[in-house]
Amino acid sequence: MTTTEFLSSLKSRGAIIYPPATKRDIELSNNALQSRRCAMFPAVLIELYRFASAINIGNGYIFSPIEIPRDARFPIPSIMDINMPLGNIPALRGKTVFGRNDLFWFAFDAFGTFYMLDNLNLRILRKYDDPYRAMYDCLIAGKF
Amino acid sequence: MQLSQDAAEKRIAELRMDDLPLEQIYPKPHPVAPDWFQKYHELVRQFTTTLTDSIQELAFMNLPQQDFIDLVMGRRMPENLSVRFRVPLVWGGKLEIDNLFMCMTFPHSHNMDRFIIEQAGNESVWLPNPAKKIYIPANMGNSGDGGNATEDRFSQLAAQISTSHGME
Repeated sequence: MTTTEFLSSLKSRGAIIYPPATKRDIELSNNALQSRRCAMFPAVLIELYRFASAINIGNGYIFSPIEIPRDARFPIPSIMDINMPLGNIPALRGKTVFGRNDLFWFAFDAFGTFYMLDNLNLRILRKYDDPYRAMYDCLIAGKF
Repeated sequence: MQLSQDAAEKRIAELRMDDLPLEQIYPKPHPVAPDWFQKYHELVRQFTTTLTDSIQELAFMNLPQQDFIDLVMGRRMPENLSVRFRVPLVWGGKLEIDNLFMCMTFPHSHNMDRFIIEQAGNESVWLPNPAKKIYIPANMGNSGDGGNATEDRFSQLAAQISTSHGME
């Protein structure tokens, strides 16, 4: 699957796709992740951010390198906003949380492996070889 | 580290939800039915259709009218709203409407997740258990564009929707 096919599939399911992040935003965010010993963006996510920053379906979210303002609503936090307060949680060591819905959190590690995590204790529930599958599960599980 | 009630209340206050009631449970793994996910989605939909009795709280959420209608008709979850279990299924919570509540995804539901995750591995866990079906912190309840006009408008809409559902 390509990024455009992935986004097209999400659009047909009612996803809100926010405008792409700039190269500089991606680099700054990646550097900030590295300095906090989180996993840096895998290539597939960098490619995605060239087409879309945050993605939202229902209560499913893929986080962006930048905070996404939403009129009167609380903004969608940036990936750094999400990960900075989690630095002291052992289960997340070496991982970066990139998405969530009401039941699960989603993360990747430095090897580009994607994970579904239990939102009660961050236990690994599923390991993904296909990052698009992980992002799809994150968003579609949040669809009402 | 095991949290005392004082420590749990202090932590939830740090997460800016100091009026959120907490309930202490001793988590023991419970089997979950294989079809729980489908049932969960249907239950969330049913739960949202019962929110016509929570107009005051919905008015403070600044929902556009169409979002309000979609929510209480069970059609669609508006942006930034989450439905949570009071007691998670894997810890013995039931797949029942009484075991659900709604709140804003950011910052509240996400911070509730953090609050629970920080207690992982403890013998007992403090869980958010708001008194009403919708949790809005008191520090948000007195501000925003809600208020009587919104409440009156939503009340009228809710009455129409309830009538169309044969709920009156």
